[in-house]
Order: sequence, then structure tokens, then C-alpha cells
Amino acid sequence: MIIPVRCFTCGKLIGDKWEEFARRVKTGEEPGGVLDSLGIKRYCCRRMLLSHVEVIDDLLRFYEEAEKRKQAGNRYYY
Amino acid sequence: MEKNDRNTRLIIRGTDAPFMNALRRTVLAGVPCMAIDEVVIIENSSVLRDEIIAHRLGLIPLKTDLDGYNLPEECPCKSEFGCNLCRVSLALDAEAKEGTRTVYSGELISENPDIVPVSDKIPIVKLVKEQKLKLEAYARLGKGKKHAKWQPVSMCTYKYFPQIKIDDKRCDACGKCVEICPRKVLVKDGNGIEVRDLMACTLCQDCVDVCPQNPPAIDVSWDENAFIFNLESTGALPPKRTMTEAIKILDKQLKEFGRQIKVKKSAKS
Repeated sequence: MIIPVRCFTCGKLIGDKWEEFARRVKTGEEPGGVLDSLGIKRYCCRRMLLSHVEVIDDLLRFYEEAEKRKQAGNRYYY
Repeated sequence: MEKNDRNTRLIIRGTDAPFMNALRRTVLAGVPCMAIDEVVIIENSSVLRDEIIAHRLGLIPLKTDLDGYNLPEECPCKSEFGCNLCRVSLALDAEAKEGTRTVYSGELISENPDIVPVSDKIPIVKLVKEQKLKLEAYARLGKGKKHAKWQPVSMCTYKYFPQIKIDDKRCDACGKCVEICPRKVLVKDGNGIEVRDLMACTLCQDCVDVCPQNPPAIDVSWDENAFIFNLESTGALPPKRTMTEAIKILDKQLKEFGRQIKVKKSAKS
């Protein structure tokens, strides 16, 4: 759903590193290199970021659409 | 050996494995630190459930002031709810006024400016326009024994201090051991093999197995009484403070143990 605060296995804080990681990978950087530069050494923490899918963004799209329709005064949005 | 605000690596000499393990376990389970323990949710219209948000808040490491606060069970207030000496309250009031936004840990307002999240950039929840999150959280001291959120470290390990001996007379510098070493400890130097990074050795013995000489020209062993201690803090406590605190707690426990043995002995006789 949303990036976990800590690594499931070791408990290292990873939540604050997700946004930078996602941004840099999107610009075409090698994920492994990004993880190294963020100081994420162990493979348990690395998989947390590598395999994460931010599903909450997809979910929020429905609410955004609903909001838009409400603004437009469409009574059928329910 | 290596030291910064989060990681520490040190060599400890003149002890044995049982002591090192006791120290390790005390660091993991016995050293208290601050974490959010109770959350009162006033309003939550976000997509995440109250429990999930409370859990996320609990996992956020907080900078801890060990001298200023008591463990709830040792606090003189004896109150279940806690007092100013054993509890810190943090408030969060977030609303998405214009469009979707992320609520970060930096938005938590603490009553004590020293007890704040380690990082301001931890996402707590994402809100769409007109969604609101309002809550009050109470942070307490606790120990890793009860819940992993109270662990001051995310890694605490020790290993034997490696000793690598290369017999120059029999070694023909074939380089096989250099190739096989997963940690690249060895390096070929002219017509001999040299140790480049002794600390990285994991004592896997692959280099010994691969050596064509019989008996092998390389010998990997370890010092039984020296250790490499590795500690990675979550940021709640500085590594040095974690160590001193662990030693203090261990010392206290051992004294108590000794006292109990004495009582048992005198009761028998």
C-alpha cells in the first residue's frame, strides 16, 4: 500500500528513503547504485525498496475522480 | 575502527563469546528507547485504517532522552496513563486543502522539542483533498524485549577476529584464493598473496579449500578472545550511548544475579 516505515526483517528505517529512490530510478538510474548511495547495505532492506509498489497512489485516484465529479456538480457520482 | 552518528564498528579484545553474546542481547532487548505506544485518533478520513496509522506511528524511531525520562513501570507516578516524567505527547493535525499530499513524520508536533522523529521525511499517510487526519500520540520508554519498535539498533553483531596466515615458502601465487574470496580479502602482490582487508573476512575457508597445495599454503583461523563488534543505530540513541547503557544494565543484572546466589547459599547453610 504505502511504503513501510521499517525493514520487515532487520528494522532499519527505510520509509524516508523511498521517495528519493523512486525519483532517481524514474530518471533512469540503476536501482542498485541508488540503494548503495542511500546507504542501504543488507539485502533485506534492499528488497523492501526494490520490490515495493506504491498501491496507495492508484487507490487515491478513485477519490480524486470522485472529488472532481463532486466539484462539477454531477449528482450521479455516488 | 569505524564510527559515525549511526554506525559503529569496534574491536573488543580480551573477552569471550558468552560475554559478547550477553552484550549483544542486552543491546537488542534491554536498552530502553522512546517509541509511540498509544494513539488517540480524533479524526481519520484517510484511506488507511486507524490501526495501520497507529502501527506506522509506533515504528517511527524517536530521538530519545534517557536521562530525562523514566520507564513507565519504574516511574514514581505509578499511573497507568503516565505523567510528564514517563510520557511525551505528540500531536498531528493534517488536512489536504489543495489536492493530494503526503503527511510526513516532520508534521508531528512534540511537547518536548528533544523527542522528535529521527527523520522528517517518513511518509505516514497520503491524503486526497478534503481528507483529514487528526490524532494525539503518546510516546513512552520501552525495551526491545516487549516490542521491536523499542530496539535502539537495527543491527548488532559480533564475529571472531580473523587471522590469515600465508606460507610464503609453499605458496606459488596461483591466485585461485584471490579469485574465490567472496569478500575480496586477498590480493595478488607480485609473486605472493597479501591480505588487503582483514576485517572483511567471514572465515568461510573457501580460500583454504581451493588451494592446490597439500597441505594448503593458506590458513584461516580466528582469535578466540578478540571480536569485531558491529552496531547500527536506528538513530534513537547514539551508538556510544547504546553501548554504555547496555554495559550498565548488564552489570546491574549480573550483580543482582550474584546477590541472589549468595542468598540461596546462605539459606541452605
